[in-house]
Amino acid sequence: MKFWRHQEQARSATARLLWGFALAVLVLVAAVHGGLVLAWLALSWMLGGHLPFPAGFAAVNIGMTLFLVLGGWWVETDQLRAGGLRLAQRIGAREVRAERSLAEQTFANVVQELCIAAHMVAPQAMVLPRTDAINAFAAGWDEEDAIIAVTQGALDHLSREELQGMVAHELSHLHEGDTRLKMQLAGMVYGLELVYQLGESMCERGGAMWWFGSVIKAAGFAGWLAGRWLKAAVSRQREYLADARAVQWTRSKDGLGGVLRKVLGQRQDAGYDARRGQYALDHHAVQHMLLVDVENSSRWAERLATHPALADRVRRIYGRPMPPMPLARMPR
Amino acid sequence: MGVFGWAVLALAVLALCWAVVAYNRLVVARNRIANAFGQIDVQLKRRHDLVPNLVEVARGYMAHEASTLEAVIRARGAASSAADKARAQPADAAAIGLLSQAESALGAQLGRLMVLSEAYPALKADAHMLRLSEEITSTENRIGFARQAYNDQVLEFNNHASQFPEVLLARGLGFGEAAMLESTTSDAERAVPQLRF
Repeated sequence: MKFWRHQEQARSATARLLWGFALAVLVLVAAVHGGLVLAWLALSWMLGGHLPFPAGFAAVNIGMTLFLVLGGWWVETDQLRAGGLRLAQRIGAREVRAERSLAEQTFANVVQELCIAAHMVAPQAMVLPRTDAINAFAAGWDEEDAIIAVTQGALDHLSREELQGMVAHELSHLHEGDTRLKMQLAGMVYGLELVYQLGESMCERGGAMWWFGSVIKAAGFAGWLAGRWLKAAVSRQREYLADARAVQWTRSKDGLGGVLRKVLGQRQDAGYDARRGQYALDHHAVQHMLLVDVENSSRWAERLATHPALADRVRRIYGRPMPPMPLARMPR
Repeated sequence: MGVFGWAVLALAVLALCWAVVAYNRLVVARNRIANAFGQIDVQLKRRHDLVPNLVEVARGYMAHEASTLEAVIRARGAASSAADKARAQPADAAAIGLLSQAESALGAQLGRLMVLSEAYPALKADAHMLRLSEEITSTENRIGFARQAYNDQVLEFNNHASQFPEVLLARGLGFGEAAMLESTTSDAERAVPQLRF
């Protein structure tokens, strides 16, 4: 894997998508104003006269839309700023203690090793002791608050090299500030959703308001959908970037590649119950920060998936498709 | 001053701003190299501190392997004093060379000891030994990662210092290309260790 080139590609794709986000907001504002102008013209035509536009029509439309989008963004981002340690503890993770078991000592050492390779302050290492699925996540707004958590399944089934790959991927998210970026995008999408909700409440008033409300609803829905698609696309690019960083820091394809292949192997295992195994991982605040997407029976459209397909990630790391790897308990 | 004069002045100011930014970037990159080198030193010290513990635990089980254990202790002593000398004179290339040789010798002795401990199942299963082996493995990995991080920083510095137009500035102000750490410094290290059964 040519990790330098993959990193550059992921970074430039992210920049393009973020510009697209800004454009989507502008288009939304223009669409709301344009739609309201058309609705006003239609109304005045139906009333058989020529109603002049009310004073400050454009200013109010544009101002109201921007107020909803930016205000909603600010409010939601503030709410999501739950911090790393508190969020992890809320879903049942506990701090790793090296004296507890050889597996935890190994994991704590692996985190320290990769922080040397990444030239980073070490985040707090945590473990989800009741989760069998092989997975991990990193959370936190800044260096003091950062945590990295792995599941018990990962500690039981992954070799040292694979743990290194997994930790390197999560450290890349912290290094690049991906948690902050994802929170900002989630806040922005919430702001776009507010426009849609305004349209909906206007529609409920009935009468002439229904026309204006529908216009705002339509523009808001389109904006919200575009926002969600862009957020998912940015998230996917950051996953590719983190994969490339992990290969750079460990200088090994078999580390992270092995982890992803073992996840595939675990999911294909007949004795594995996905719903029970993913205990604590389907909390909404954590879902988009996981190493691998949780398996769920309701199939979201692929366009809105926050993680690229596992097989695709394996192919990028190795340079060719690779089969899943069967699980074996590690002698720790 | 005519328009031409003002244009020349503006260009000169822009060039100066660029030069300041480029110089600062070079300084930051060079400082990171020094920091990365210090990190290697920290990990080497950690390795020195772990060795006596390891030898004591092993001595309890490997009573007949006194010669190997003594060799490890001697290599550790040599590496520790070489590290102290290098720390005192970090700019002395000879001291750094001696340090790498001493560290390689210690690494080889440690490797020999770990291979030998495979033949003593009671030692391998000892809980204390398991944790110590994990710490030794981690320390060897940390040294490797520290060297890798050092080389990554050197790469970043060299990229900044040798691309056009920064290269003009760099050569003028004495920012030469930094050297990466090589994997081995001596022919002795390249020799495959002999295992006698």
